[in-house]
Amino acid sequence: MTVQTNDPLATAAPPTTAPRGSRMGLVLSLTLLGLLLLLWIGLSLSTQTFLTERNFANLMRQGSMVAIIAVGQTFVIITAGIDLSVGAVVGFASVIAALLMTHGFGIATAVALTIMMGVAIGAFHGFGIVQLGLPPFIMTLATLTALRGIGLLITNGQTISGMPKSFTDFSLDSYLGIPSLFWMVIGVAVPAYVLLQHTRWGRYLYAIGSNAEAARLTGVNVKAMIYLAYMISAGLAAFVGVLLAARIGIGNATQGEGWELQAIASSVIGGTSLFGAVGSVQGPLLGSFILTTINNGANLLSINPFWQRIITGALIIVIVYSDQLRRKRR
Amino acid sequence: MLIDTLPGATAAPPGSTVPILSLQKLDKRFGATHALKGVDIDFQPGEIHAIVGENGAGKSTLIKTLTGVHQRSSGEILWEGRSVALASPHEAIGLGINAVHQEVVLCPHLSVAANLFLGDEKTRFGLLRHRDMVAAAQKILDDIGFALPARATLSSLTIGQQQLVATARAATRGTRFLIFDEPTGYLTRQEAAQLFALIRRLKQGGVTIVYISHRLEEVFELADRVSILRDGALVSTGIVAETNEAALIRGMINRSVDQVHYKEQVPFGAEILRTEALSGPGFDDVSMSVRAGEVIGLYGLIGAGRSEFVQTVFGRFAKTGGQVFWNGQPVAIRNEADAIRRGIALVPESRRDQGLCLNLGVGLNVNLSIFDRLTRGPVLDGRAEKTAADRQIRDMQVKAASRDAPASSLSGGNQQKVVVGKWLNHGAKLFIFDEPTVGVDVGTKVEIYKIFARLLKNGAGIILISSYLPEVYDLCDTLHVFRRGRLVASHIGHKAGQESILTEAIGV
Repeated sequence: MTVQTNDPLATAAPPTTAPRGSRMGLVLSLTLLGLLLLLWIGLSLSTQTFLTERNFANLMRQGSMVAIIAVGQTFVIITAGIDLSVGAVVGFASVIAALLMTHGFGIATAVALTIMMGVAIGAFHGFGIVQLGLPPFIMTLATLTALRGIGLLITNGQTISGMPKSFTDFSLDSYLGIPSLFWMVIGVAVPAYVLLQHTRWGRYLYAIGSNAEAARLTGVNVKAMIYLAYMISAGLAAFVGVLLAARIGIGNATQGEGWELQAIASSVIGGTSLFGAVGSVQGPLLGSFILTTINNGANLLSINPFWQRIITGALIIVIVYSDQLRRKRR
Repeated sequence: MLIDTLPGATAAPPGSTVPILSLQKLDKRFGATHALKGVDIDFQPGEIHAIVGENGAGKSTLIKTLTGVHQRSSGEILWEGRSVALASPHEAIGLGINAVHQEVVLCPHLSVAANLFLGDEKTRFGLLRHRDMVAAAQKILDDIGFALPARATLSSLTIGQQQLVATARAATRGTRFLIFDEPTGYLTRQEAAQLFALIRRLKQGGVTIVYISHRLEEVFELADRVSILRDGALVSTGIVAETNEAALIRGMINRSVDQVHYKEQVPFGAEILRTEALSGPGFDDVSMSVRAGEVIGLYGLIGAGRSEFVQTVFGRFAKTGGQVFWNGQPVAIRNEADAIRRGIALVPESRRDQGLCLNLGVGLNVNLSIFDRLTRGPVLDGRAEKTAADRQIRDMQVKAASRDAPASSLSGGNQQKVVVGKWLNHGAKLFIFDEPTVGVDVGTKVEIYKIFARLLKNGAGIILISSYLPEVYDLCDTLHVFRRGRLVASHIGHKAGQESILTEAIGV
């Protein structure tokens, strides 16, 4: 469908030389990209092992999974919500994928069913938030706890192994010199970017995060959009569960512990506002790879892993605070 | 302006001594809005002084200036003859100036006693003395004749009872000057009687009372003197016993801004909407209709049920009775999206809370209602989006840095143009405007009225809710008056005078 406006007063539109509103986001993205490159340069100079093909591929693989759930998380946070369940969904999905593959399902079928199950979990979140009126924090905290329990229950606390080799090999593959897991990030990020920036549903997500009442009075189906955001988040988390199962070769309900916090941290470092209506797709991607680089670099520099957590916490405060300063100054 | 002068306006107030509070040429501006224009009022110790005026006459601004919430732009405030700054609520309370607001401003989760002593708790060695506070609170409530349990959680009380708690709190902290802002809005008759008894006792105790109310019968029951405000200026101050309701209403009505209310008469078309005996939350048995090219005004005091009525038509609330007809057909409008799909647009009362996505761009805000038309397949047509936004911004003469400037960066009037403007392209057939000109300057008002004219020429009908009588009076082809949830009178054309319409709305 093309444009149709029924305003009889319409006249030729003047060319406005308007500055792009996303300029602010662009500045932050470039700053984060600069920070990431700075970290890489610093680590290349200070260690001999960082700038090796093996380590770099490893870094990409490590960062990919949190990057994907951070993108999903960002959809939810833009609506001024939060999804605490993504880590649990990752673990649960690894179990489901492993169980399906070890019980005679083909790889493609197992992957599709697992992702559909994730989408269904997201729909359940939407149901609790929209229909039952529960706060997103509570609703997803409840499923975080419950999904771990269900996963442990159906596996009896055991690890599920014995998945086809062609499946587990996928995580080690590369295509055009880039790890296949990183291709998955691109495969998620591009449609996510189009959805968020180039469809009306993306505009609606921002509008809901800014003022849900105004959006509803303008005819936006707020309930359906909230369902959509949580279904995307949980669906992507389930997809990451599949990737994780391939990478570690097992399904285990306790996997992905604390990943929800890493996803939120990546998103926030990438400029997403927890108050809603501010966020992008590139932001959480950069944020997650910065966090992964810090961990990777700390390992290579033999820094006490306990320090890594402290550095990550401090970094979140510094980046978000400086971003707020910059916004206030405008 | 002889007609506006009350009999007795020049008479000396009773027991005239040094005024406890004296306003001299008090002026307050908010940007381009001139909210108070050189107001002179003397408040005598121990009098009950009523202030009346239409919505927007400056009563709220006056209260906020007296309680230190707003600072005056110019003029003097004398407290017992001494100039005071009144720079903060803290300073006002320190002098003994307190206010009871229309909306309860207390902590609903705490007990009545905790609310009464909030900020002034009784302690021993830094620990709260719960039992003492409950006992003291109960004694206060009993003393002033409010039958309320001190131990109860505030939210378990009715709004009226909560209002009494707020009154008790304001009355018992060394208060010497107590302002009531529409205190009986939520009170039952019995609660109102308790409140009046307390006000009289406070007066006997030497407390000066300022009483603001739309209900003129209360003014005549309680007050010693009454001041009339209109468009931010003092019309007159007089002794209540020497005036009457007709004189007060005459004083409250404004006749000087007729020329602002721009109106083009358009021939009426077919009926768009009709309600028959429609009932819902806060209103009962409302029957009315809107034709193409017609402006229907809904006038009444705040809380008269007008907003609830239109929101029910808009699908926000479920109706409890009656029927809505759209283009002659009975319809059930289930929700807002349903209403918008049929061609009903609602421009809400609060642009900040309900109308705008403040931290998003102007372009997104004006396009929000028509994004489904700006897509090519599933993807937005970026150029169409920009074109639509730019045309809208230019058509509406919105003063914005760019289409990407956040809506929060616009002035109030320009924000309102965005809220109205997003519907221009949408092509709705019925537009509901809920108080569209509150807090906008005269120039923007005229532009909003010109938008009305364009909508009418396009064959749309308009329902206009306004608490500002001259506006609805001048703009509307048919004027319906609401009072306490009912449609009490309808006027076609301009046969009835503004005085009689205001009288119908107040119900004297």
